[in-house]
Amino acid sequence: MTDELHDSPARVRLPPQPVIGPVTLHVASGPLIAPVLSRVVSMILARADCPVDRLDEALILCDALAAHVPPHSRDGHISFRIDARAGTIELRVAELGHGGASGLIADAELPDVGNVIEHFSSSRRIEPAADGTGEELVLDLRFGSASPADGRGSA
Amino acid sequence: MTPDLQLSLPARAENIALVRHAFGALGDALALDEQLLTDIRLAITEACSNVVVHAYAGREPGPLEVDATVRDGMLSVIVRDEGPGIMPHPGSPGLGLGLPLIASLAESVELGRDELDRTEVRMAFALSGAGTDHRHT
Repeated sequence: MTDELHDSPARVRLPPQPVIGPVTLHVASGPLIAPVLSRVVSMILARADCPVDRLDEALILCDALAAHVPPHSRDGHISFRIDARAGTIELRVAELGHGGASGLIADAELPDVGNVIEHFSSSRRIEPAADGTGEELVLDLRFGSASPADGRGSA
Repeated sequence: MTPDLQLSLPARAENIALVRHAFGALGDALALDEQLLTDIRLAITEACSNVVVHAYAGREPGPLEVDATVRDGMLSVIVRDEGPGIMPHPGSPGLGLGLPLIASLAESVELGRDELDRTEVRMAFALSGAGTDHRHT
């Protein structure tokens, strides 16, 4: 069947529009974290032209965060701040209790696999919460010209 | 009451799809009926579109905030902005059907301002068969 619209040489393919600005997710600690975080991060990465293999790794990272973050929540909720820049996104996990960031990383250790957070993030740092009541884990996920593996293991 | 899910992002057209995706995930987690989830997402899309088109018209887009809370078999959604409030827009490019559409899809709709003088559209949806409290203790 001929489809004149789709066969037309005048057809224009519009590029995907990137998500603009930092996105903050504040989620009740529990079963909502995994599906919501994964969907939001995957959409931001896809619109930022992240390669599929790196996107897949980012989703594994999100699953690990969702699985291990609840015990480290400061007050029953977790905040994620996702900021896409050229070739990288910063994923900030906030509202963690004191020691929560390092505890979260430690909990992501899998037998025979290693540490999922360390393996799939390009770099990591721990910062005190602005209000001094806990701490935040800041992960960078690079997917630009630099190989995602370049930063692995750095902290 | 702290919402189960709160999304905060710049009120830009490109970002409305992100809100829809987040509520798709919420619907999956709550095992919502597909038609109900479609209605919820449509109502939220309309409310977010109103924010994008009207709340910050003529200036840099400000924040769009969407809260979702599940209690007692009801999903309460608040779409919030820092614009001047909801008022008639005779020159609007739309058909002016947004709020009536939301009203037809939701169990209840309230328009107002919060304690910080932000504009709010509050919607409630009955989660028949899926009304569970998703707080994690």
